[in-house]
Amino acid sequence: MTGRGTASRFLTAVLHNGVGRYVRQLQRLQVVFSPAAPDARGARQFVEEEAVDFARRHPDVVVYVRPCDCPAPVLQAEYLNGTVREELIASKTSEEIVQLAAKLASQSGLDIVRIRKPFHTANPSVQGQWHPLTNKPSALTVHGPRTAPQ
Amino acid sequence: MVLLSVPLWLRSRLTDRFWRVQEVLKYARHFRGRKNRCYKLAVRNVQRAFVKSTRARRQKKRYLRALWITRIEAASLEHGLKYSAFISNLFKTQVELNRKMIADLAIYEPKTFKSLAALAQRRRQEGFLAALGDGKEPEGIFSRIVHHY
Repeated sequence: MTGRGTASRFLTAVLHNGVGRYVRQLQRLQVVFSPAAPDARGARQFVEEEAVDFARRHPDVVVYVRPCDCPAPVLQAEYLNGTVREELIASKTSEEIVQLAAKLASQSGLDIVRIRKPFHTANPSVQGQWHPLTNKPSALTVHGPRTAPQ
Repeated sequence: MVLLSVPLWLRSRLTDRFWRVQEVLKYARHFRGRKNRCYKLAVRNVQRAFVKSTRARRQKKRYLRALWITRIEAASLEHGLKYSAFISNLFKTQVELNRKMIADLAIYEPKTFKSLAALAQRRRQEGFLAALGDGKEPEGIFSRIVHHY
């Protein structure tokens, strides 16, 4: 919970995403739920009603639906840089799951840690960064010591 | 009648002591000396570290402002103005830049900062003329106030 005790990173885009074409960083979304458990009711409703619309709205993302005998229903998101994020969807309504899926789709796979500065630029200076000779008169304007009077 | 022998046969033992200890030690790993390894020393120092980090969030704002002021002072002295004159005259010309932005401009856009210093200097001269003059001269251009309401 201290600045140095916990991880932190600078603000970046994955491989300068957005400079050229924007590539959605979410690779696949797996909806893992059990067909009988009571807390997976929202997940089942999501799969029946909203999952197809979600997949149509996000054509870059592959949506897998896995009914299996798991203890808790989970939304597993895998990103292009390899990070896997699991979100519990137990006892959530279908609308909440849709919002959660949209949030995961808009994230990149970078770690969710403290971002040191909310800005980042590769070219901070347009006029040339200050150096000790910026505001000093140059050799062209300096007049040397005067010799004997003419 | 309460039978006490059965509960006494069932011992409850602490099985996750390792993880409870690691929860504290993970915040002490970057410390120096034995307090990054030994739990008894680490507990005290992790507590102090948290307290200091909470207090430092308020101090950071003070330190950064002082840093910006130092930088602006150095930059404006290069252009022949003191910090107080620079800031007060910039305020009077309705240039509402905060110290962070002015410090960044002084580092990364030196020509812009030079023009800001010239503006402050000119406003300063107009202020002197208005105060010491007889009132016969017209008002200065940079002394005009724009009302946004």
